[in-house]
Amino acid sequence: MKIQGYVLSVILFLILFAGACIRRDVPQNITENSAQTETLSVNEYPVNRKNVTINGVDYLQTDAPVGNFGGTLINSTIGEGPKTFNPFNSKDATSSTLSDIMYDGLVTIDPVTGEYIPKLAKSFEVNGNDYIIHLRHGLKWSDGKPITADDVYFTWKNIILDGFGNTSTRDSIAVEGKLPTVQKLDNYTVKFTTPKPFAPFLASLSTPIAPKHVFEPAVKKGKEFFDTFMSTNIKPNELVISGAFKLTEYVPAQRAVYKRNPNYYVINSKGKKLPYLDKLVYLIVGDVNNEVLKFEGGELDVIGVRGTDVPRFRERQKKDDFSLGNLGPDTGTMYLSVNINDRKNKEGKPYVDPIKQKWFSDKNFRTAVDYALDRENMVYNVANGFAKPLFTPESLNSIFLNKSLRPYPRNLEKSKELLEKSGFYTDDKGRLFDKEGNRVEFTLMTNAGNTEREAIGVMVKQDLEDLGMKVNFKPIEFNSLVNKLLSTYDWDMVIMGLTGSPLEPNGGKNVWMSNGALHMFNQRGQDEYNIGVLPWEKELDYLFENGATALTFDKRKKYYDRYQEIIYNEKPMIYLYSPLRITAIRNKFKNIYPTSLGGVIHNIEEIYIDKEDKNGNP
Amino acid sequence: MLKIIISGLWKDKFARMGMIVLAVIYLAILFAPIIAPYSKDYSDRSLAYVPPSKIFTIDENGHFSKPYTYNYVRKFDENNFNVYNIDRSQKHYLKFFSTGEDGKFHLVTVDKGGKLFLLGTDINGRDVFSRILFGGRISMTIGFLALFVLFPIGMLYGGISGYFGGKIDTIMMRIAEGIMSIPSFYLLIILASILPAGMTSVQRFLLIVVILALIGWAGFARVVRGMVLSIKNQEYVQAAKSIGASDLRIILKHILPQTTSFIIVAITLSIPSYILSESGLSFLGLGIQQPDASWGNMLKEAQIFSNIIYRPWLLTPGFLIFLAVLSFNLVGDTVRDILDPKSKD
Repeated sequence: MKIQGYVLSVILFLILFAGACIRRDVPQNITENSAQTETLSVNEYPVNRKNVTINGVDYLQTDAPVGNFGGTLINSTIGEGPKTFNPFNSKDATSSTLSDIMYDGLVTIDPVTGEYIPKLAKSFEVNGNDYIIHLRHGLKWSDGKPITADDVYFTWKNIILDGFGNTSTRDSIAVEGKLPTVQKLDNYTVKFTTPKPFAPFLASLSTPIAPKHVFEPAVKKGKEFFDTFMSTNIKPNELVISGAFKLTEYVPAQRAVYKRNPNYYVINSKGKKLPYLDKLVYLIVGDVNNEVLKFEGGELDVIGVRGTDVPRFRERQKKDDFSLGNLGPDTGTMYLSVNINDRKNKEGKPYVDPIKQKWFSDKNFRTAVDYALDRENMVYNVANGFAKPLFTPESLNSIFLNKSLRPYPRNLEKSKELLEKSGFYTDDKGRLFDKEGNRVEFTLMTNAGNTEREAIGVMVKQDLEDLGMKVNFKPIEFNSLVNKLLSTYDWDMVIMGLTGSPLEPNGGKNVWMSNGALHMFNQRGQDEYNIGVLPWEKELDYLFENGATALTFDKRKKYYDRYQEIIYNEKPMIYLYSPLRITAIRNKFKNIYPTSLGGVIHNIEEIYIDKEDKNGNP
Repeated sequence: MLKIIISGLWKDKFARMGMIVLAVIYLAILFAPIIAPYSKDYSDRSLAYVPPSKIFTIDENGHFSKPYTYNYVRKFDENNFNVYNIDRSQKHYLKFFSTGEDGKFHLVTVDKGGKLFLLGTDINGRDVFSRILFGGRISMTIGFLALFVLFPIGMLYGGISGYFGGKIDTIMMRIAEGIMSIPSFYLLIILASILPAGMTSVQRFLLIVVILALIGWAGFARVVRGMVLSIKNQEYVQAAKSIGASDLRIILKHILPQTTSFIIVAITLSIPSYILSESGLSFLGLGIQQPDASWGNMLKEAQIFSNIIYRPWLLTPGFLIFLAVLSFNLVGDTVRDILDPKSKD
């Protein structure tokens, strides 16, 4: 009985095995279905806004299609949630997003052209070094007190210029160590004066304005108190705001709920006060996968889609009720940086092994590395095609992008030629040696846990090994990596990402100026400023100083074009790609005009929920 | 005793299955360079996320044929996933027991120009099947390393503590309890950030495992101590004492061998927990890092949501972890039954 059972099971197994092996080759006609899906695009933002005065109040009127009031939009933020609701203290993106909703700045970015346009200010004039701001009459804080020049003066003089909270705004507007001054001309007029002509100043006017009567007591208690002022423990009814939405509930690690500000100064073409939406909710989600699941489950209304997820969203779009938009290249950039630091630490030990220093400081070596990289397949494999190869430090949607710098494909021959020129040679096993006979071997690092960067690292390693270099690829923990980059400088090559503003290249001065805090490829400590500054680094310093103080766009563009050209030629940082920004939003929302510069909900006050659609799909 | 265990194991249906599975896995990773068609770093990046190769044994005319496969060609389309179409222009016949393109001997490989991805490829176009075999070498052996550290310490510590008793016992056991209460997960996260970056990921991981073992012996030592407490009152221990054997000799030669059955059970049952911790740590980015392979870090790729749905072959390492852990547990359970006199009959 038992043996029979065995025989039977063996026979059964063999049959199954053979069944799996024997497969018939049936040619199929490959179906071409790609033609049916249209490419992703977005509608243009057709809206004009103008100032109108009704009963002594200066409103901002939009001619966007009139919608109906009510409803909720649920957005999300990834991570642990905000650290503060004080817009002057925020140091991370989540905190700034969640606090800036409540406080309008004097100016804002035009989401289409990228120009600065008045927001809380009624208008502004720029005369050389003077910026004269005219405020709207009749605006009120949410507690009924009027918004006047005193608030603007207080915000700038006592918070920003005195260095309260996060000082990055103040740092970015210092020209040669001197700060602008602010002056109250009358109750509704304020004048700023910069020590020198300084174009980026206008951008800093988008900083929120604080209610003086609420912030003044906190400022009087000193900087230490201010750092804890309006923390996430604040009771929402203590907030006094000027923005479109006001916080009503915050549950740590879960959500922040905002309610419409009934006294907001933006009105629709029928004169009704916006925003249309009753509530705006930010869910705090742990990671991207969680966010995607929440969107698919209908818990979220809007989401940024990763390249790898786009095909899935396209498929779901057919059955689900959302639409996708391609906003073009994102502001993020992925790059490979080479450590060209040739200095010694306090003990007299070089930061980088002198043998490696010679390679890294050799422009031919860096160019050879660049030409060996296969950007095309990085885009295909890592970003699923939703990215564009990048060759310049400015992101592809930057208005200062130097378009004369041409992309080039992978070219191993050219790489080998360049290496040969610098005396590198390969032995019969294909291993690369420098002219002193040292094997070319170095470490490539990135932060561990980032699947995207790890995959790129593996590709870069293989690409460079095609040249005969030996690359030890080591993903390490993020904080230790930052420590290496910014304080111990003991690294060879690194894959990292940065985001910059597509409108204001001056933000990149901390990376490109020779004593910048993020000048990682040749980082200088405080006692090393002006030591060993390379000629092209000097030129970069010059370009950034003058680019900031030139006033017209064309003049500035010349400086910033040249800076991109230097990086393009010298390659201290080798740019890899820039992802495309794809977003999805539910169809029930109307007045959706995503732009590359503004994102999806830049016009949050104009967005409304289509009632018919709501009734149509109960 | 070993004989009893093995014959006992073979008699039990589940344990036998477990042993066969484990034997297959260990043989496979032992002969990985021969069984795997590619090396662990081989990659063809124009073929990222290729589905498993289809192998045909009946050709398009309905005749039997030597097994053959077709290559995939990528057709890139911005709106869809990378579409891989079968390139039917050329058949690539499978070759068994011959040299592959890398000039090395392989169990199964394919004609020149052909690609054989038995379990598809990953994001870098590397063969998942080959990487599973090479990655298994790390995942399946790491547990033993930890045990080599953990067991000698635990046995000796528990033995001494139980044998001497009294104040020594109290002090030693309180220390052990102190060590037991170290939160190991947080310790690992801290370790991961302070370990020197100059180590390779394998070295680093070995170090982490050793450290895990160094704080993991305490629980084991407590059990040994309990057993020693009862064994030390046996007559043969008294006899050894009276002929003047040293304390250490008594512990090592007369007392600890009596705990063997418990130790064998404990070993077989704790290996799976180390396999799981390897995959857990690599999954979190604390263990083996790219481009080295381990089952945990391969599984990490399946963490991306759409990969689970569209590229299910990336989940195979997870399936193998499941199989291996289950098998170890089946074997361990049976060993316990065999060695535990109470459950006999």
